[in-house]
Amino acid sequence: MLKKILSNKAYPVVFLAIIVTISVILLIAVNSFTSKVVESRREEEVTSILEEIFPEMSRYELEGEVYTIYQDDIKTGYAFKASGSGYGGNIDILVGLDNDFGIIGISILSQTETPGVGSRITESSFTDQFKGLSASDIALSSEGGKIDAITGATISSRAVVDAIKDKMVEIIDTLEN
Amino acid sequence: MNDNKDRSDYKQPQSCHPQDVKENKKSGSGFWKELVRGIIISNPVFILILGLCPVLAITNSISNAFGMGAGVIFVLLCSNVLISSIRKATPSMVRIPVFIVVIATFVTILNLVFEAYLPPLYESLGIYLALVVVNCIILGRAEAFASKNPVLLSIADAIGTGIGFTISIIIISFIRETMGTGKMELFGRQLFSVPGLSAHPLIFFISPPGAFLVIGIMMALLRLVGVMKNE
Repeated sequence: MLKKILSNKAYPVVFLAIIVTISVILLIAVNSFTSKVVESRREEEVTSILEEIFPEMSRYELEGEVYTIYQDDIKTGYAFKASGSGYGGNIDILVGLDNDFGIIGISILSQTETPGVGSRITESSFTDQFKGLSASDIALSSEGGKIDAITGATISSRAVVDAIKDKMVEIIDTLEN
Repeated sequence: MNDNKDRSDYKQPQSCHPQDVKENKKSGSGFWKELVRGIIISNPVFILILGLCPVLAITNSISNAFGMGAGVIFVLLCSNVLISSIRKATPSMVRIPVFIVVIATFVTILNLVFEAYLPPLYESLGIYLALVVVNCIILGRAEAFASKNPVLLSIADAIGTGIGFTISIIIISFIRETMGTGKMELFGRQLFSVPGLSAHPLIFFISPPGAFLVIGIMMALLRLVGVMKNE
């Protein structure tokens, strides 16, 4: 009986189908379990980064791409995500603005720049330069702006600057209208 | 000195043949023999030179090495156990697709679990965690060992090969992180820092070419030890 099944021509196909089915069921089960954890962690991450930029924040509202920040029901600013491509891949940045569209602070969410060189865009000596700037001031100092590029990492520095500037102009446009 | 002769001395695929293993089993030491073989005689990284893609890419920090090592041991153990237990029912015509599905399932589970519970490690391993699917160490053990041997021996083989892999990448990443950053951090805790080197680290070591250099030197040294022993 067993031999008859094993020598059947359709057996390999059926066997593979069974294996794949079991695999799919197993993965659905694991995914349904872990996806909730991942989702709640992502929300926590955004909240904690927003709190770094806006220490007095009491809550935020996400509308389209713009986070509106409230402190005791008074609007204190906006935040948005910008992304650009650097030397080693995408760089994601969270930018906080005050009510007059000046930068309060920026935070690099993710980057894959060269360790020790381009990766220094995450250091506060670079990110703090953006504080208080308006959209027109954001450019590398070699190009007439107020941001000093990191030595040896001009591409990474420019990627951050360009990403923030482009997105900021776009966001301010939509907020003003 | 004949180079070919040296090669054959310690590059033979040791006891991948089922007959050898049966003899081992009779003597009762098969389990430990397989375990030690995977760690030393057929060390996947330095001797078999398998699965170098993750080895080159993730050995820039020792935390990554521990994470990747644990991941590979988990996948190797699960896939070896499952493939060994279904080996008699698996038609040889579809065995490779079956192996791939089994391995991919466990790698995806590993990915989901890392993403949910070890996010920093998941971020720094990046694509290389998912690429464990095509790691030839795992498929190699499935095809050469687990599909031909009983479950217990396959467990020993998986643990041995997995530990061999882990030890190798820990050694490489230890050298690269120490030289490249001047300090050693394990999961966010600083273990030590080298005075002078931490202020002016040799960044070259944590860049990809540094990986080739370190692995090349390690292999050369092991080779030298092997040649000296044989003489």
